[in-house]
Amino acid sequence: MSSATTDRQSSGLGFVGQRVKRVEDERFLVGEGKFIADLNHEGMLHAAFARSPFAHAKINSIDVAAASRLPGVVKVFTGAELNAVTNPFIPFFTVGGLYTPLYSCMSDDRVRHIGDPVALVVAESRYIAEDALELIEVDYEDLEAIGSIDAALKPGRTQLWEKADGNVLGEFTDTFGDVDEAFNQADRVITKTFDCPRQSNQPMETRGIAVVVDPTTGHLDIHSTSQAPHFKKWAIAAMLVKDSTAASLAKFARNSERRSAFLAAAKDFVAANKEKMAQQDNSGMVSQLKKDPSTMLHQLRMGAGLLAADDYPTVMAADIGGAFGSKGPVAREDVAVAAAASELGRSVQWIEDRVENLLDGGQAREERFTMSVAVDNDGMLKGLRVDAVLDQGAYTGFPVAPALIALLWKVYFPGPYNLDAFEITSKIVTTNKGRVVPYRGPWANETWARERMLDLVAAELGLTPVEIRSRNVMREGVSMPDAFITGPTIDETMSVAKTFDRALEMIDFDQLKRDKADAEGRGHRLGLGIASYHEAAPGPPNFFSSVQPGTDLFVYEDGRAEIGTDGTIRMFTSQSPHGQSHQTTYKQVAADEFGVKMEDVEIVWGDTDRTQFSFLGTGGSRGGPMGGGVMRMTARELRQQVEKVAADMLEASVDDIDIIDGNIHVAGVPSRGISYADVAGKVAADRNITDEPAFMEAMKYEGVGNGGWSVATHVAWVDIDLETGEVEIPRYLVVEDCGPIINPGVVDGQVRGGVAQGIGAVFYERTHYDDNANLMSTTYMDYLVPTAMEIPNIEIEHMETLTEGENDARGTGEGGMIGAPAALTNAVSDALGVQVTEQYLPPYRLLELAGVIEPEK
Amino acid sequence: MKNPPFHYHRPATLDEALALLAEFGDDGKILAGGQSLLPVMALRLGPPAHVIDIGTLEELKSIEVSDTAVTIGAMVRHAEAEHSAEVAEYTPLVAAALPHVGHRAIRNRGTVVGSIAHADSAAEMPAVCLATSATMHLASAEGTRNVAAPDFFQGFFTTAIEPNEILTGVSFPAWGPTTSGTVVEVSRRHGDYAMCGVACALDVADNVINGAALAFFSVASTPVRIAEAENVLLGQAPSEATYQAAADVVTDTLEPEGDIHATAAYRLHLAGVLTRRGLAEAHDRIGVPA
Repeated sequence: MSSATTDRQSSGLGFVGQRVKRVEDERFLVGEGKFIADLNHEGMLHAAFARSPFAHAKINSIDVAAASRLPGVVKVFTGAELNAVTNPFIPFFTVGGLYTPLYSCMSDDRVRHIGDPVALVVAESRYIAEDALELIEVDYEDLEAIGSIDAALKPGRTQLWEKADGNVLGEFTDTFGDVDEAFNQADRVITKTFDCPRQSNQPMETRGIAVVVDPTTGHLDIHSTSQAPHFKKWAIAAMLVKDSTAASLAKFARNSERRSAFLAAAKDFVAANKEKMAQQDNSGMVSQLKKDPSTMLHQLRMGAGLLAADDYPTVMAADIGGAFGSKGPVAREDVAVAAAASELGRSVQWIEDRVENLLDGGQAREERFTMSVAVDNDGMLKGLRVDAVLDQGAYTGFPVAPALIALLWKVYFPGPYNLDAFEITSKIVTTNKGRVVPYRGPWANETWARERMLDLVAAELGLTPVEIRSRNVMREGVSMPDAFITGPTIDETMSVAKTFDRALEMIDFDQLKRDKADAEGRGHRLGLGIASYHEAAPGPPNFFSSVQPGTDLFVYEDGRAEIGTDGTIRMFTSQSPHGQSHQTTYKQVAADEFGVKMEDVEIVWGDTDRTQFSFLGTGGSRGGPMGGGVMRMTARELRQQVEKVAADMLEASVDDIDIIDGNIHVAGVPSRGISYADVAGKVAADRNITDEPAFMEAMKYEGVGNGGWSVATHVAWVDIDLETGEVEIPRYLVVEDCGPIINPGVVDGQVRGGVAQGIGAVFYERTHYDDNANLMSTTYMDYLVPTAMEIPNIEIEHMETLTEGENDARGTGEGGMIGAPAALTNAVSDALGVQVTEQYLPPYRLLELAGVIEPEK
Repeated sequence: MKNPPFHYHRPATLDEALALLAEFGDDGKILAGGQSLLPVMALRLGPPAHVIDIGTLEELKSIEVSDTAVTIGAMVRHAEAEHSAEVAEYTPLVAAALPHVGHRAIRNRGTVVGSIAHADSAAEMPAVCLATSATMHLASAEGTRNVAAPDFFQGFFTTAIEPNEILTGVSFPAWGPTTSGTVVEVSRRHGDYAMCGVACALDVADNVINGAALAFFSVASTPVRIAEAENVLLGQAPSEATYQAAADVVTDTLEPEGDIHATAAYRLHLAGVLTRRGLAEAHDRIGVPA
């Protein structure tokens, strides 16, 4: 690789924008990746969880005596034992009208879903730990289980949570514009309900945590498959606080150094964020405290404990085999294993197996939308009303709660189309199922329901899917407002219309007509589906405050760069890569800024002792724009510092300094150049430093200002065998615009992976609970992830709308998954001539919809 | 998903293996390719106390061809049979079935006979045994015996194999040039167990069907052969109408159950469609060198 990339650098083209090979691949392909199960620490103990076989039951008693006696077992913790030494999960994300039930890391008196953890075995091997699980006796008393949205909405059924109103945890409404007026004025109103069943994020590597305890200090080094190591560090630290609030506060008060440092930091924070803090919406905390005042007591104890703590865990994330959102949350297992290791004073690891992963590794997207569209007979949209329901399962995800998904619907639902008015009511219901986590484009079902509804409305009005979109899509300079009615501002980066128009050029409608006829001749049906969407990637500055006022406190990105005294360049990111090629793309960005080769730059991530705090870690399609942005800016700043020193050394003006392939020289005189090592060495000698870098710069990056949208139009061709319901996707086209691309290979990979998951969602994947909340899909024989055989060639057309920002690359991680389910179900509808209102379409269901077989009663 | 402790035995001869089985009976289990047994053990679904690995037994590793049959030994991997010229020439239905068995990685380790002994009613090979009227060779410390395919498959994962017996091989009758067969199936993904499938064979001479076999899988607790549908075909000329008549009998006869991947109605519908498609394909393969 080095010769090709060096040529590029020498020729002045730079690495950014090039299809540079991934630097991660070599270690992965030869089996040298460092995944959590590869760590093999000396003396590590292994944990396994006893999990409930009941969907909903009381625990009358638990007997771990026999399990504890098994040779090789170090300790069996009952749920009650671990709960006694940990603090509960309290809501991190609240919204007015929502109650979030508190829960502990283990279940001790009641289980609420299949797989609910009730005991933890720590043993010398995972084999022995699993042997011990078979010896644990739990006396369960079965309770009525809530297995569906319908059951959860029904009053009078068994409640999962005593303090809730039935099984509805909250309901909240947002209104934009005059909705009644829009509905009264429109020629007609069309209403339809759309259902999406449950899916599961399925990373190749399951979750895992290895807690290494320092036997002398008790310090915890936590190795974790985490998208957000910093959040995990503070969450675990808080949940392991044992002292009372009063004791912690007294200890804090005695520590004058800590006290003054904290007060100074708090003062700085308030000064910097006064305005944002004033906007914060506290109605969620109010509704929470009304339902459960103890929330505040737990908050205080954990907060005071963090202030007083002498030591905090270190969290480290090395290579991670995918996550798709599921490894951002802190899970109950994380806290339980950390507590067990801390109590034992010995290192413990837990590697989730695939069955556990399918039980509770993260589930998503079980949602229902009743949409009413007010529309004129010419197809012009006027108003939209949405009644949405989200099935969060039993335990509310932490910290990103399903309520956040509902708030994202609020902002996204109207899509890139003009509307006069919009209202959405979202209900969060609780059922006896696994935990809902963010899944690649967590809000994506708004695109699915909206784009499906557009086709349905078009059909009712005698229009084509193309016509209804053409008439309503926002067009720059024609019908594009300055902001969505839901709040976020728009600029030329929200150019969905451009991708839509380009897609229409590429479709070849004449060929489509011939292909449809050909398919019919073979007893098949061929259909075409179109779907467009926009996503904040990272979005304009007012995006997060549109989602919820005050949340933009968390959306900057920190980064750091340093040059060692030997000239080594290191970039520190707070992102936690897990398949997105951060290492490659950040090297490209930094190498160009520094004028060096990619191999001259080291990217450091994942260690909370070495990187700066980040609440989000990797998520929200921010790795390119925000993480890449802060890499670029810190590198640029350091280069300027280097150029100043180099100019002195070369006795030239700073403006004349050029750097090519690491050769720092006066422009035009490369033969008399010096190296980064020469410059760093000079600085080290002058300042007499050995144990700190020669150059260092840390930055807080807030993005490029307005814009920040990624947009795309997906087109799917779906061919259905009317005899068997088997599906082929003869063509799939994505026209996307994520701004100037850092690495086309990486963007292509992100798009393809997202589309593959969309294909999975529609045709293969279903987390299948029966009406009694028994999970039917507990292995890969029943939870079907599409393989390379099921994924067609995916054509990708890049459009790169430039703006004036310094780092205008926009995010692309989630888009593929957002557009694909909509395009595919639209294509199925077109093929069968039936308006599909459900997202999961296995072969039997396709034949039912086609009228070939009788539907199951 | 870690197996519980078990005793591992690796006999050097078939007699040793049979002696071990005689000793352990129900507590012993034969390990060949391990593609069914090992997942069952990892999931702790009734794991055996004693695992008897027959992987080194040379006498079970051959494919033998006689005038009347092709006999596949218990340690012949799917992949080896799949690529065997003799299997393709004399038992084209077996050859047609093998590419449908799992994925390539599974076929590299799993054995033909192991799949038959496991008797998953959704698997291809048990249905192929029924369709070809294969003979199962069983051995125990007390001697050997042969069991015909219809008597061998008795229920869900249940066969005529006694606790002290090993299924040492299976003989598939060698077919002449007027006979061929195929396996057609519909599965959720490439390599998955079928939601419905059929192993079928046709013997056609002078445009008259002289023999027919239809054995369905993934429709009941065992593979199911439907003689009534076969009889409809006999003496007829091969045609879409003939095949449809057989398909109608099939859908009148079968009573499959539903699961999360396929409803009962869908399975039944597929059985009819696949009857037609399978027979047409089987006919096309007659006289075509594999």
